[in-house]
Amino acid sequence: MQTTRYQHKGLRSLTQTLLVIGLTALFVMAASAQNNVFDPTTMSVEDLMNMQVTSVSKRTQKVADAAAAVYVITQEDIRRSGATNIPEALRLAPGIQVARIDENKWAISSRGFNGRFADKLLVLIDGRSVYTPLFSGVYWNVQDVMLEDVDRIEVIRGPGATLWGANAVNGVINIITKSAKSTQAGLATAGGGNELRGFSNLRYGGTVNQNAYYRGYAKYFNVGSSSDPLGRNGTDNWDALRGGFRGDWNPTGPDSITLQGDMYRSHYGELLTIPQLNAPYSSTFPNAGAISGGNILGRWAHDFGNSSTSLQVYFDHTNISENSLFADHQNIIDIDFQHSFHLTDSQAVIWGAGYRSIGDDNQSSFTVSLQPTHSMLNQFSGFAQDEISLFDKRVQLTIGSKLEHNDFTGLEVEPNARVLWNVTPNQSVWTAVSRAVRTPALTERGLQLVSAVIPPGGPGNPTPFAAEADVYGSKQFQSEDLLAYEVGYRVQVSNNMSADIATFYNNYTHLRSAEEGAPFVQTDPAPLHLVVPFVASNKMHGGTYGAEVFTEYKIIPRWKMAASYSYLQMDILKDTTSTDPTPDNPNMSSPRHQFYVRSSLDVFRHLEHDLTVRYVDNLPGLSIPNYYSVDTHFSYALPRSFELSIGSQNLLNHQHLEFVPDFINISPTQVKRSIYGSITWHSE
Amino acid sequence: MQAQAIKRRVRAAVAILPLLLMATTLSAQNSPGSSEYLIKAGFIYNFANLVQWPAASFAQPESPIVIVILGEDHFGATLDRALDGKKVNARSFVIKRARSIPELQRTLGSQKDCQILYVSSSEMPHLGEAIQLLKGVPVLTIGETPGFARNGGIINLILEDNKVRFEVNVQAAKDAELNISSRLLALARIIQPPEGR
Repeated sequence: MQTTRYQHKGLRSLTQTLLVIGLTALFVMAASAQNNVFDPTTMSVEDLMNMQVTSVSKRTQKVADAAAAVYVITQEDIRRSGATNIPEALRLAPGIQVARIDENKWAISSRGFNGRFADKLLVLIDGRSVYTPLFSGVYWNVQDVMLEDVDRIEVIRGPGATLWGANAVNGVINIITKSAKSTQAGLATAGGGNELRGFSNLRYGGTVNQNAYYRGYAKYFNVGSSSDPLGRNGTDNWDALRGGFRGDWNPTGPDSITLQGDMYRSHYGELLTIPQLNAPYSSTFPNAGAISGGNILGRWAHDFGNSSTSLQVYFDHTNISENSLFADHQNIIDIDFQHSFHLTDSQAVIWGAGYRSIGDDNQSSFTVSLQPTHSMLNQFSGFAQDEISLFDKRVQLTIGSKLEHNDFTGLEVEPNARVLWNVTPNQSVWTAVSRAVRTPALTERGLQLVSAVIPPGGPGNPTPFAAEADVYGSKQFQSEDLLAYEVGYRVQVSNNMSADIATFYNNYTHLRSAEEGAPFVQTDPAPLHLVVPFVASNKMHGGTYGAEVFTEYKIIPRWKMAASYSYLQMDILKDTTSTDPTPDNPNMSSPRHQFYVRSSLDVFRHLEHDLTVRYVDNLPGLSIPNYYSVDTHFSYALPRSFELSIGSQNLLNHQHLEFVPDFINISPTQVKRSIYGSITWHSE
Repeated sequence: MQAQAIKRRVRAAVAILPLLLMATTLSAQNSPGSSEYLIKAGFIYNFANLVQWPAASFAQPESPIVIVILGEDHFGATLDRALDGKKVNARSFVIKRARSIPELQRTLGSQKDCQILYVSSSEMPHLGEAIQLLKGVPVLTIGETPGFARNGGIINLILEDNKVRFEVNVQAAKDAELNISSRLLALARIIQPPEGR
């Protein structure tokens, strides 16, 4: 009953959105009436060399040809923004929700459901999935690369499950580093500021012979602590040391081989509150954690002329040790094979198969425990997708599906169908229907989390015993399902102006709920106490809809403006049979409105200036007020390949909170006004 | 109930799809155009604009620029469509195809009327023969295989970090009596031929 009600509401809004887009499209079409297919002969050599291609379809493709909501953050964007880590760089993508929890933790999501343990976004670094099977999310404080070596970050909003598999529910972030051939120089950066106390990046690139190139890098940074809303020291210091290499070998002929690896070690602090069975029933103290690990990846691509194959294998090891809470050791082996070819003149097919093995060992505490303490999971997958060009290549139809088998829920099917219509060379309209699933994480099956202890005689506990509110995983927990409908429109209004609009309606079923169970008495650990269990179940459903708009305008060759606005509405409801005590529509942790305006100006030949104004709407579920943030970055090119850079963030207000974490009670800390300076040297 | 049945049918259909595709892989032989080749078509047009052939290369001022694609043709109709009706200094384009060296010999005839030779990866092993065949004829050779320019080709289109880049062998261009504009050279990666060549 409830389902139909909200669906109608959702559909009505979708219809309205579609109408608006349709009218806008008609208007722009009339305004810039041009004809025929995209003409490459009107482009200069420089333009052709700059054609940005992406891997939405896992094959080279121009953004304008993708039937998905794609945005590409380029190396230039990252450098000019002054971003010092990946979460900051992701703020450049329209519609992505990035909120800092404390100095070393983030909540990052796409199209809603944000949280420290946000679980609907897949993140890949050079083809290596970095989500943790513990909670299907990302430990952002160890996902890092040498930002100078990033070629681009492809941000896909909406499901990408057909190609990327489970977890690619609400978005995919693809961080792609440059080939070793493109980083054939030395680079050294050092700097520091009031928040980012000190950092240093080193890279060296070299040549073995004319077909083989390599690079090695090392980086270190140290971030100081901030304060929590009560003015206490958040003890959220953070430092990380990381090093790695990449080698690319192109023997003459159709083969290319890449070998790369990283090692890292990160120490972080936090102000942690954990429940206790004895008075005062909770304890707050500075806690410390460490994550270390390493990975190695090999990729072999072979070009047969009219078809190509690639084989990728990697090993990833992670060690997590969070004092007073949890320790975990993980080993992941992943093998992926792909083959793409042209079936006919107008059909391009790509298919592949993969295997992933996850080994997990963990140690518990009073607050957090995970069963079983040793587990070994196997995932098998296969996918196929066909891209069909119709009507003189003006319409492109893409259909495909992924089949995935996991140990928890068995076989999962994730199909999609996408259509792109190049209305004119400067305009395209696309639409897609796709299904994605989020398969259960280890914690959703076997967690026991003591989230609070209610004192005897305290609110809701009339008994003379302490009462534990515990969150339990469940072996009955199933996959969350999504059926997504998307429509988008892109237009190149003129040589110096373009716009991109994406709208979506997502219909979720079997979303995670926490069902209240019957209380019981426990004697171990002592003293005797009550336990009120909240068990993970799939009794929530609902719809979300929204739109993301991005537009870019080159006012003069030296001055570029970009603006983005995104809207999100979430209508998430409990099933009628649910006993989850949280109020309806619990997920109010994502902003309804977000926008930014960015200016990139070359003041004169050696001086670049960038200014960003961001607005993030309030998060009613977390009592976080809305905020504006102004960030600036200056970069000055000095003689002898030196470059001076000054970045500052949050210039407007002294401090503000961006998020309050879920599940584990860690004090969020204030985002302060910050400034840093750095000097970079390139050899050449 | 009905939804269940539909779901099951969809699952079955989807499960069969990869098998069908795998089966068809074996019979697939065609090689049409893609966005990569659309970009490469743009490059060819620009090269025609920025390279100067000796006046004697053309019978008349309006003689077309003849492009021959040697080997596996990955352009499909992309190149023909891109250059259709286009002109460079009053010259239109004519596109011919030759899958092998003997076919190239037949296509060219004794006139050897060809200004651009696009050597597909499949014919890379026969690059030397092709250059020998066109000796004394000012032909701009364009390739798309690593090592093309180093082995005597003039311009090589390479894919790097998903962008198209190009290398120019300046000595080979000089040998073919072609004059490449400095604007183009400024954007190119210059390749030095190995010693003794």
